[in-house]
Amino acid sequence: MDHSLFRAVVPYVVGLVLAAVLYVYAGQIEYTPRPGQLGPAVWPQMAIGLMAAACLFEIVRKLTGGRAETRGIAEILSREGEAEDEPRFPLLLVGGIVLVTVYAILLLVLGFIVTTFVFLASFMYLGRYRNHGVIWATSAIVTILCGIVFLRVAYVSLPRGTTPFDRVTDAFLMLPGL
Amino acid sequence: MLDLITQLGIGFVNCATPINLAMLVIGIVIGLLIGVLPGLTLVMGVALALPFTYRMDVTASIVLLTAMYVSGTYGGAFTAILFRIPGEPIDVPMLWDGYTMGRRGQAAKALGWTLVAAFGGGIISAIIMVLLTQPLAKFALRFSSPEYFTMLLFGLSSVVALGRGALADALISLSVGVLIGTVGTDPIYGAYRFTFGSPLLADGIEFLVVMVGAYGVGEVLSRLETGFASKPIEKIEHARTELPSFREMSAVKVPFLRSSLLGIVIGIIPGAGATIASFVSYGVESQFGRRKEQMGTGIAEGIVAPQAAATASVGGALVPLLALGIPGSGATAIILGAFMLHGVQPGPQVLVTSAAMVYTIFASLFLGLGLMCLIGYFAIRPLVKILDFPEAIVSAYVLILCFIGALSIRNSVTDLWLMIGFGVLGYLFERWKFPVAPLVLGVILGPLAEESFKNSMISFSNDWTVFFTRPIAGTMATLTILVLLLPLVRKWRG
Repeated sequence: MDHSLFRAVVPYVVGLVLAAVLYVYAGQIEYTPRPGQLGPAVWPQMAIGLMAAACLFEIVRKLTGGRAETRGIAEILSREGEAEDEPRFPLLLVGGIVLVTVYAILLLVLGFIVTTFVFLASFMYLGRYRNHGVIWATSAIVTILCGIVFLRVAYVSLPRGTTPFDRVTDAFLMLPGL
Repeated sequence: MLDLITQLGIGFVNCATPINLAMLVIGIVIGLLIGVLPGLTLVMGVALALPFTYRMDVTASIVLLTAMYVSGTYGGAFTAILFRIPGEPIDVPMLWDGYTMGRRGQAAKALGWTLVAAFGGGIISAIIMVLLTQPLAKFALRFSSPEYFTMLLFGLSSVVALGRGALADALISLSVGVLIGTVGTDPIYGAYRFTFGSPLLADGIEFLVVMVGAYGVGEVLSRLETGFASKPIEKIEHARTELPSFREMSAVKVPFLRSSLLGIVIGIIPGAGATIASFVSYGVESQFGRRKEQMGTGIAEGIVAPQAAATASVGGALVPLLALGIPGSGATAIILGAFMLHGVQPGPQVLVTSAAMVYTIFASLFLGLGLMCLIGYFAIRPLVKILDFPEAIVSAYVLILCFIGALSIRNSVTDLWLMIGFGVLGYLFERWKFPVAPLVLGVILGPLAEESFKNSMISFSNDWTVFFTRPIAGTMATLTILVLLLPLVRKWRG
């Protein structure tokens, strides 16, 4: 199997395996059956069945080099050649996923204010922007604005952080004029 | 009719309160900016604004979100025409004639055509929205679960068949969305489905978490992978709008009316939104228009058709939302979320229980369209200046708003984790060219469809023929089959 065909088939194989696993899992949903009524697994199993059928269809179509795929009306009516290939930087993507994951991990520890400030600055550097003054200034301004709007005005319950970082949140909330 | 006009008049008065007017202006400006910024889609923008509305009055919240929605269908045309950068997927057809007209030195005229089309299409759809909502709501009182189910099925099928991407991929995307919608406690048996022992998952997955993740985080990750590489922007010294003459407008009245009506119909179909309206309308004009051979060469019809349809779809999409409680598009799904956050359930009863609010929203759409055109006409230069803003900074802000949005839904970090997960899923969908819209609409409409399906089965002793034997349900079921066959027929006919 050539490399491009393998790459094209992989998402559908993953989808098919996932559908099989979920179908079995759905069959194990615990409930007390009622006579004449459909169980709680019927609807999800219908969705899984549709997903498996579509995946299987695409795998067979791609492996047999069958007919061209059927596309949605908006796609048929649009003109080709609009999509332009852009260079890709997988490391930036990995960095982005790591950064949002670290944000979620640190949020409960450092609190919203500190984590947001650090995240904003880090993400701008990751996005290859290099004006240091703008990065730190806008990160601080946006963090303060978000803090005012969501912690003080909208009263959204955002994490305060654990000791000693919660003191930063407390200090922010006690700032005069806010 | 007199009662309707009186109610609308009261709506205009209510809309003129300082808070509602302020929300209207803010919504229009932010919507235009969202339209202009290529990395920020209309649905994402409306979703990100949702946390700001938590402490607001329900009417002001909906006025804000609706204003963003309507002006977001217009703002992207500026950059598509001037710089060949479609701010929204809606604006891709604008590249074919709008940008071409601009390259001929008639950018101001092209912008004038978009303004006229957006205003005209929007006004027609607003009028039809006002006229249609109440009768549809009354008619919907006769609906039983089979009618609701077939209507939702029609909506889900339309997103697959009319949208972009391969049909099989759209079906997979839809199935995944419907499956995500089943996570939680089964409403009839109280059984846990796909909760994996998590108490938070027992309450289900909020569709807003999926929307913000797939549209917001997913899009930012996709853009980050390209290094936020954007096309160099040409210097536009004299960005201005030149309105077409009455004679010129008269020459395109047929395409304009056809596109506006098409936009309204597509907007009314549950699930299909402005993007589908824009593409389908351009396609119809290319195939049936008087100057079909010249489409793509920079003619007015190529600008009017997608723009009028896109803006007209807004009023159309609000009809099923208000009359039936079924969102007509991704953006109206968020507006539905805003209603529910404030304890208001849109549907056939809303015109009885909250008529003043509904008519204020109607009035805000009329006022919003006027304001949108005024701001678009006079402030085009400062609006397009936002493109000078580095994308890395804008994307960082977008991510923070996504995080806050997820955290504020149930005050839980688990929602943040789920949103990040759906963000990665959204990225993978984008990477492998799976359409995201069916996924999101599957999450939103899936639970509604399941409920009406199960109620139908309980009420009619598991007799599935009920979906074909009742007149309204049968009509909707037939339309569902036809709409699914449409791409296949198109393919066979070459």
